[in-house]
Amino acid sequence: MYRLAQSLSFILMSVACATLFFLMTMTFIDVFLRSSINAPLGAAPELTRMSVAIIVFASLPVLSGRGEHISVDLLDGVIAKLGLARIWSGIISLACGAMLWWPAERAIVLAQRSRKYGDLTEFLEIPTFYLSWFITIMTFLTMVVLIIRGLLILFAPRLMEPAK
Amino acid sequence: MTEAIVGFAAVLGLVLLRMPIAFAMGLVGMLGYWFVSGRFTGTISMVSKLVIDASQDYGLSVVPLFVLMGLFVNKGGISRELYQVSNAFLGHFRGGLAMATIVACGGFAAICGSSLATAATMSKVAMPEMRKFNYHDSLSTASIAAGGTLGILIPPSVILVIYGLLTETSIGQLFIAGIIPGLIGILGYLVAVRYSVWRNPEAGPAGPRATWGQRLAALRGVWAVLLLFFLVIGGLYGALNVWPVYLRFSPTEAAGMGAFGAFMIALLRGGLSFKGTFEVLKETSLTTASLFSVLIGAWIFSNFVNLAGLPEALSAAVTAYDVPPWVVMSMIIMIYIVLGCVFESLSMLLLTVPIFFPLVMGLGFDPVWFGIVVVVVTEISLITPPVGLNVFILKGVVGDVKTSTVFRGVTPFWMMDIVRLALLLLIPALALYLPSQMSYAH
Repeated sequence: MYRLAQSLSFILMSVACATLFFLMTMTFIDVFLRSSINAPLGAAPELTRMSVAIIVFASLPVLSGRGEHISVDLLDGVIAKLGLARIWSGIISLACGAMLWWPAERAIVLAQRSRKYGDLTEFLEIPTFYLSWFITIMTFLTMVVLIIRGLLILFAPRLMEPAK
Repeated sequence: MTEAIVGFAAVLGLVLLRMPIAFAMGLVGMLGYWFVSGRFTGTISMVSKLVIDASQDYGLSVVPLFVLMGLFVNKGGISRELYQVSNAFLGHFRGGLAMATIVACGGFAAICGSSLATAATMSKVAMPEMRKFNYHDSLSTASIAAGGTLGILIPPSVILVIYGLLTETSIGQLFIAGIIPGLIGILGYLVAVRYSVWRNPEAGPAGPRATWGQRLAALRGVWAVLLLFFLVIGGLYGALNVWPVYLRFSPTEAAGMGAFGAFMIALLRGGLSFKGTFEVLKETSLTTASLFSVLIGAWIFSNFVNLAGLPEALSAAVTAYDVPPWVVMSMIIMIYIVLGCVFESLSMLLLTVPIFFPLVMGLGFDPVWFGIVVVVVTEISLITPPVGLNVFILKGVVGDVKTSTVFRGVTPFWMMDIVRLALLLLIPALALYLPSQMSYAH
């Protein structure tokens, strides 16, 4: 289980990192070309927008699997004193996963609609539903990751550790 | 209005019960919107559309690129060199090492947008040095904790980007507006150090005086990073739009140039392996995803609060009772200071801005100025007991210091922050003069 999670995390993070490196280099080239020969990359704005979505949604399942979402730990001591830390953490993870079902399901409808209308990006004319589908799949994956994480914390915490 | 107040209480409750803030705001926002609008499908469509559209927001690209810039520069070991330069010029004064820490924190803040990262990084560099010269722990830890808060005000600043995206205020103008209050912050903290050593000369003994040769040698280590900062901020301000370079940047372009420049600096210094680069890119991507999640949550919550009519109700109440704008602003600041005692900076910003921003705009205040005021109050919250996060970060890194010792030392710095806040409230031009002079406002 741990190794499977590690492999999936590596693949997703590689996609996010490659896209981020691309975004950084493209922005530099765009500014350089515009400043030196007044020839900016016309596709830069839409590629920037697409890159940001890929970086965010490729990272989201990994972030959720690691339980690294921003949260307030003011009452952690009290929850731990009551002996509820593990159970509470599992329940929160399950609840967060479950609430993603509705937006993810609706995102399928929006992606299909965008495909039916034949929406294209302005410059490169890439069909926008590709990205909508990517966002939908990653939202579903985040949901699954959060639910599995919740179940593991509650019922099989040992499976979350590396095999000895 | 009642629905919005119940919703706000529900978010507070869920957040305190350890639900990630993004999910707490998203869940309450979603349920609240459904309750007020009475349409389930419409609510879910709003949420899904927001997620898809917001993730492709051009302005959001500023976040990963500026985070990347800070991490690349840090990888090149700049924090130590910044400290050495400041130390070479200030170390021979009484309290000089603490003053050097403040200046180095200001320098580090100019490439890093996070206060916690600034405090954590500088504590590793400055603390051993101050201990070597027998500085009292209260002064040394307080100077790092307070200096660290500069990270979110001196551009680039992650909090200002979040505020800009949340309120549709120009991120470029917000960055430029943070410069003068940031410099006042450095000056104020230097005064606080001098006051501390005036009260107790043994708290910060003077170190040896560096020769001009040593000072110039120290400067050699940081010139590239200083140049990068001036390129990024100068390009953003429009100051470089002159013969022969004609450089002017949007915030995304400035961030991209900064990240690429920082990558090249780290690469040329030999401090960057393939694995190191991957780690930096990975950390940046995860930070971006977590910030994006809280932004989406805040947007959903904000849509609900607006639909429930809370901003209008607050504005109507202010008009009905004829409350002067400065009284409203003072009350808002008091609420921030109280909330700051228990909430960390980002949570506080996300929870309050959707409610206060429309009210403040209705009263005729400037959105850029309000952004800077919010960030300065947030800085104060970072060193205010009992939750002052910078203090706890410092305690985590340093280890053998009591929290009460840090809070005791921080008092003069906290007082200087209050003075700075008062100045900013009385003289808005401190934040607004530079943005008004920008040749290329976004």
